[in-house]
Amino acid sequence: MRGLIFLILVSSNNIFSILEIEILKGSDNLSKIAFIPFGIEKNIDEKYGDQVSSLIEKNMVLFGEFENLNKNEMLSFPSTEEDFYYRDWKIMGVDYSVIGRINSVNALGNLNISYSLFNINRRIKILDGEIVGNENNIEGIAKIISNRIYEKITGLRGIFDTKLAYVVNSNSKTYQICVSDIDGQNEKILFSSPSPIMSPDWSPDRKKIAYVSFENGFAEIFIQDLISGERESINALGMTNSAPVWSPDGKSLALVVSFSGNPDIFSYSLNTKRLNRLTNHYGIDTEPSWSPDSKKMIFTSDRSGSPQLYEINVQSKRKKRLTKDGSYNARGKYFPDGKSIFFVHGNNGNFQIATKKLSGRFISTLTSTSLDESPTISPNGNIIIYATKKDENGYLAGLTLNGKSRFALPLKNGSVREPAWSPLLK
Amino acid sequence: MRRLFMEPIGIFILAMVCQLYSCAQNVSDSVEQMSYASVAGEEYLEGDKIETNLNNKVFFDFDKSSLDASDKSLLEQYLPFIRKAKIVRLEGHCDERGTREYNLALGERRALEVRDFLIVKGISGKKIRVVSFGEEKPLKRASTEQAWSENRRVEISLY
Amino acid sequence: MMNRVLTSFNTFALILLFLSFVFSVFSIKTLKVNNTQSMKVNFFELSEITETQKRLPRAKPIEKIKEAGLIKTKEINQLEASLDVEKYKISKPDIKKELSKIKLSKERTEILKISSIIQDKISSVWIKPNSLSKMLTAKVLINLAPSGEILNYELVEPSNDRIFDNSVLTAMNKISFLEEIIGIERGIFESNFRNFKLVFKSSGEIE
Repeated sequence: MRGLIFLILVSSNNIFSILEIEILKGSDNLSKIAFIPFGIEKNIDEKYGDQVSSLIEKNMVLFGEFENLNKNEMLSFPSTEEDFYYRDWKIMGVDYSVIGRINSVNALGNLNISYSLFNINRRIKILDGEIVGNENNIEGIAKIISNRIYEKITGLRGIFDTKLAYVVNSNSKTYQICVSDIDGQNEKILFSSPSPIMSPDWSPDRKKIAYVSFENGFAEIFIQDLISGERESINALGMTNSAPVWSPDGKSLALVVSFSGNPDIFSYSLNTKRLNRLTNHYGIDTEPSWSPDSKKMIFTSDRSGSPQLYEINVQSKRKKRLTKDGSYNARGKYFPDGKSIFFVHGNNGNFQIATKKLSGRFISTLTSTSLDESPTISPNGNIIIYATKKDENGYLAGLTLNGKSRFALPLKNGSVREPAWSPLLK
Repeated sequence: MRRLFMEPIGIFILAMVCQLYSCAQNVSDSVEQMSYASVAGEEYLEGDKIETNLNNKVFFDFDKSSLDASDKSLLEQYLPFIRKAKIVRLEGHCDERGTREYNLALGERRALEVRDFLIVKGISGKKIRVVSFGEEKPLKRASTEQAWSENRRVEISLY
Repeated sequence: MMNRVLTSFNTFALILLFLSFVFSVFSIKTLKVNNTQSMKVNFFELSEITETQKRLPRAKPIEKIKEAGLIKTKEINQLEASLDVEKYKISKPDIKKELSKIKLSKERTEILKISSIIQDKISSVWIKPNSLSKMLTAKVLINLAPSGEILNYELVEPSNDRIFDNSVLTAMNKISFLEEIIGIERGIFESNFRNFKLVFKSSGEIE
């Protein structure tokens, strides 16, 4: 017993005087990934191997989160663990390597693909996977593999199979609501109209989109089924109904109805078609959005004299003001973890995208252009896409939340606005 | 036995009456709204439009919906025409700055401001139709102060 | 009888040890250096050092001045005048105290300087994961050779966030040498840098 105390006292002398150096900042560099062309079994077309790895590479570098190694800088082309040598990749400054193999193709065109991911610095394999899919859907296969790789490296859910909805206004004449892949591919027009369209929002099951259409001469909410194409007006007991936002459980819409010219926020049950009033104020109350736990809503109100963000408890109807800085804070939405919000912040005539922790006091602006609006966030909470303007033309731009990357989506024929990021496929 | 049933039935009837009353409230709200909602489906034939040689627009400051003296005098000039017209359509608009849904509400508020002025001047509310297009239908599609000031407007049409 | 003496001696030794332990706690050698603080903490001491150096009369300069002549004599007078004789009565224990203060401050400066270089080096290879709203801390114990070679490192206090810990280990794998250590005074090396900890922190702020 005494001996034990002796030991502790002697060693504790050292523990209490050890130097501790804090590391608070990381590198601005991006992780570098080598996407090695997948190998193929005999008698399989080589193109599959190249295609799959190229598609994965395109996905992973899409939002500027990673750097990729050029194929002509690769020292070897392993497709199995046995052929994999860490030093080939360490020399090239690579942090992660992806290898894979097309194992078989059957008569129906179904491919069996296996893949692995290596952490070069730690010299360990961190992922093994196998996937089966049809050659007609090779893009879909690559998206799933990309998701797995992304998740392993970042710890965040991969979003490569999510979609983006947005409004395009071509030549000031036609308005269209469109849906495309996250990289802009496979664009589909959902609805086309000579009258304006606004505020698209996805149902949580990704099967429907709600939006505002002026086809009948005034703002009216429609719900469109993405598969059947059927459209239904919710015709909520009054004029000017707008700002539809689906509840997390998919059973209600938060929306704005303007009874007697006073816009207030309601919750509309899709089942019972009943309206439940949430705000009752002579000011403008609009732009509601649900918290991820469905208990609260954030909304914009000018009851204080200028547009600011407020939070309302859906049960108790108690309200709380969220923003004080600046004369214009609107179109607020919650981060997927419910702890922060992002919104449009007006500052000296510039309108920018900003964020704020619900528990904090300060606003951080994310953009520095001046006509930014309609921000939407990826379901993993890592990327924000918003609408902005350049030379009179509207386009979509985005940034990653660790601040390291900014990008713009390819321009379209017309002014693009109001992006809405789809939820994850459940 | 009967007594036992009386009470719950009584409460039931009371509840039904309350429900009907609140429904009536809703209905009356929507009746009031009917004067707006009938914008839908009501066709405006261009032939029906009453032409005046007046400037048919009233303008506003950024994020404001108040009428200034020149706006009011323009509207005064309209009054005789409005009295003769069957329908007055007020269309509210905003410039592109700020968020779209808020601008939709702001446009409506501007149109309502004009409506209230007309009502004060004796025009019947039943004649007046209010619509807002927010920032969706700008007159000028430039991002300049000039274009913005032209877009912050209420357009008046008479039928 | 012998037993008794030994037992009481044992107890005495233990008490001594305990007291030394208590003293070591209070003469805190822990020097927490973080990115923003490094040089600022020392500013006071640096200025103190130069002040103290000014006040101590030096033999050398006075000799030179004797050779030079009148103008230099003026300087001595000025120097003497600048010393508030009352306040700064220089005595031997005072000199010793000042010297040890300088030594300690010099040591601190050196430690801070090296630490700051190590900070920059580690930061340049650490690809911090996107931890958004989580505040995380991971501590790595490093065993260094005087040559600068990292003999061993160990994640002694993981953050328990797999991705964060992985990023820390990945960063450690990118470095095998801390050249800045070479040439540092042996005493300072042994007591501070032979074994030290890196504390990787995530602030939980949206950057």
